[in-house]
Amino acid sequence: MSALRGVPGFALTTARLFGLQSAWSYERMLGIGFGHAVEPLLRPLRAKRGDAAYRDALARESQFFNAHPYVSSIAVGAAARCEVDGEPPERIQRLRQALCGPLGALGDRLVWAGWLPACAALGLVLLALGARGWAVLAFLALYNAVHVALRVWGLRAGWRAGMRVTVALASPLLQRGLEVVLPVAALLVGFALPAVLVWAVRGAGLHLPWWLAWRHVVAVALAAAVFAAAAARARGRLTGLSLATLVIGVLVAGGVVWP
Amino acid sequence: MSPAEIAGVTAAGVVAGVDLVTFPQAMTARPLVGAFVGGWLLGHPMVGLLAGAVLELFALETLPVGAAPYPDWGPPAVAAGAILAQGVAADSAAGVWPGLLVTVFVAAVVARLGGWSMQLVRRANGAAIRLLTPRLDAGDPRALVALQAGGFVRDAARAAALTLLALLPGGWVVREVTSRWHGPAALAEDGLLAVALGAAAASAWRLFGRGRAARWLLAGLVAGCAGALLWV
Repeated sequence: MSALRGVPGFALTTARLFGLQSAWSYERMLGIGFGHAVEPLLRPLRAKRGDAAYRDALARESQFFNAHPYVSSIAVGAAARCEVDGEPPERIQRLRQALCGPLGALGDRLVWAGWLPACAALGLVLLALGARGWAVLAFLALYNAVHVALRVWGLRAGWRAGMRVTVALASPLLQRGLEVVLPVAALLVGFALPAVLVWAVRGAGLHLPWWLAWRHVVAVALAAAVFAAAAARARGRLTGLSLATLVIGVLVAGGVVWP
Repeated sequence: MSPAEIAGVTAAGVVAGVDLVTFPQAMTARPLVGAFVGGWLLGHPMVGLLAGAVLELFALETLPVGAAPYPDWGPPAVAAGAILAQGVAADSAAGVWPGLLVTVFVAAVVARLGGWSMQLVRRANGAAIRLLTPRLDAGDPRALVALQAGGFVRDAARAAALTLLALLPGGWVVREVTSRWHGPAALAEDGLLAVALGAAAASAWRLFGRGRAARWLLAGLVAGCAGALLWV
């Protein structure tokens, strides 16, 4: 890691990683952002092997690439290291292609299906417990602590590993994270649903006696279960959001035409 | 809403809209954050939080995975928080649920439009890349900077348009429909909560409904129900 601090362009590449998807397109997907992020690390090539080598490397690194944006930093670091080390272009291209699938699957499982729902659910639970605006701040702080760490760690791990980037993917920390994050997210999301229900019912300013609040809570919970079952059955033909929009539209119309 | 308030809410909507994909994906695009900010800008952060919590339940389904089309909740959530906060300022807090129901409907429609608009931006990015392909193939770093900046500006313009759409025509719809609401507030409250929680439960089951995760989901649900039992 100490060697990385001396690498020119490392800080700029780290900053550019956050805009990896700015020029997202169906043709190159993250390719342009990848090239933009890797460019500061390629600048020493000008001095080492001339402007043509730098430009060739940049053109190569701006080709198609698709993976999860956070863990793409592993590929950025590895590809930059390979270019600087003078690996053959075909090997670098094969490495980039080979990393797309595993990094996509890793990020989707670790972040989109694990860490994001876990943090969102924790934010809702904190809100239900009375944290008010602090719940939002806690959500952002917790989520981004891992988000930023993942991007920075990935760049360093990729740079250290170069062509042997599979070593970074097999990191015990990453594997342990994958094992832990899904159960934690499931537990928190499960906990958040009844917590939000009770918070919303009690926080509505209705000041109901406990037995009436209970009727309220049970009625909503039963109706929610029916809606969830309907959404699960309709899946494939209708997304949950489409069905929800439809039902809310009916409720709005019902409230307006109510005698 | 004053022009300064509209400008502030639009700026917050742009930050949220750009965050989803373009920069920096720090999840300020989540409805819990966006609606809180929208409500806070209009002086009622707790009302924004209520809208944010309800919208967040719908957004649990939304995972911004690559090329898949997904709704953009950020700009409509910011607008929803602001619209609802404005309604509370003009009305009483007890009447928040019918307004929230209509606001969520408007936000859901705009979020779907947001997903569609994202595809337009991606196609425009593709067209810009095709124009600059010779320079990219020559390894010109300025072409990369131009494409990244162009993508950012397109997405920011998209987010601004979405926020204004949700805030101005959307806000008008919310005010008009809410003023014509004759049903009981409980219909809006129970109906909205049931749909939101049902949508969240369906998303949770889709995400965690298999293997070991399903057991943890049920454990969380049981623990949450036990906590609710004690609380109520």
